[in-house]
Amino acid sequence: MSENLLQGVIFWAFALLSVGGALGAVFHKSIIYAALFMLLVFLSMSGFFILNNADFLAIAQLILYAVGLTIIMLFAIMFTGDKPLVDNGPKKSSMVAYGIISAFVLALLLKATTFPFRAQAMGGASGYMVNVLPTEGSIQQLGLTLFKTYSLPFELASILLLIAMVGAIVLAKKTFDDDDHATAKYVLDERSQPTDEARKALARHDELVAGKIGAGK
Amino acid sequence: MSWLFDIGLTHYVVLATVLFCIGLYGVVTSRSVIRVLLFVELMLNAVNINFAAFNNAINPGDLSGQVFAIFILTVSAAEAAVGLAIVISLYRMRETVDMEDFNLLKG
Repeated sequence: MSENLLQGVIFWAFALLSVGGALGAVFHKSIIYAALFMLLVFLSMSGFFILNNADFLAIAQLILYAVGLTIIMLFAIMFTGDKPLVDNGPKKSSMVAYGIISAFVLALLLKATTFPFRAQAMGGASGYMVNVLPTEGSIQQLGLTLFKTYSLPFELASILLLIAMVGAIVLAKKTFDDDDHATAKYVLDERSQPTDEARKALARHDELVAGKIGAGK
Repeated sequence: MSWLFDIGLTHYVVLATVLFCIGLYGVVTSRSVIRVLLFVELMLNAVNINFAAFNNAINPGDLSGQVFAIFILTVSAAEAAVGLAIVISLYRMRETVDMEDFNLLKG
């Protein structure tokens, strides 16, 4: 009984932390704070994995999300300057509409997900109860499952990661030299409205081509 | 009041649903691309909770659910890397990350 009580307390603590963090991330104006709130969510997810006997997933969650993804997101935020730091969000009216849509999806999903399990799960010990924490980890068994039963998806996942890595490098690499950059800008602005900024950029580029740089090239 | 401390599968399913919908709301309302990527990660994470909880509740001897959660982790890592690379390259071209400004294909 006391184990159940302990599990309940831990669950509700992590639930509050994660839902609060998610709401904070959605509603906070500053994107840096949003990323840090998401760190809170990722940490509590790790707690849920431990409660579900998924110790490897908990550690992977900590390493991949709480450390890796948050840092990468912060890098991207810093890379893209100070403009995205404050998100003004959509208009109030459309915000209400989106809220209604999300609430509708929530109600639908709650109805659909809880209905078949309510009888068993709420029925006490005979239903689907979450097992109490084991004394030894499950990593060895997980590895065997991963490499025996799911070895083909595992290889496919490794190929996916390789492709994603190469793709990310190709996409984020600075491929344009100044000439191409100005040309791309010119083409873009021909299709939309030529803006003052684009004209200025083109003029600046012309100046550069006219001889202020070039010694380096 | 036994539902408060007897944590069953339903608790995890409801929690995951709530987190998923908060993420959905974040995805449809935010204007910064980086925020959208962040909330997509939140939605994927909510799905991961479901995998772990169902695996533990229904068949704890077989860890297939956790393996699938690992695959989701992998795919979301790939998605984040490519997504952020696209954001950075878009930022180089348009000097903004506001979704409203990416209207090149709009007729």
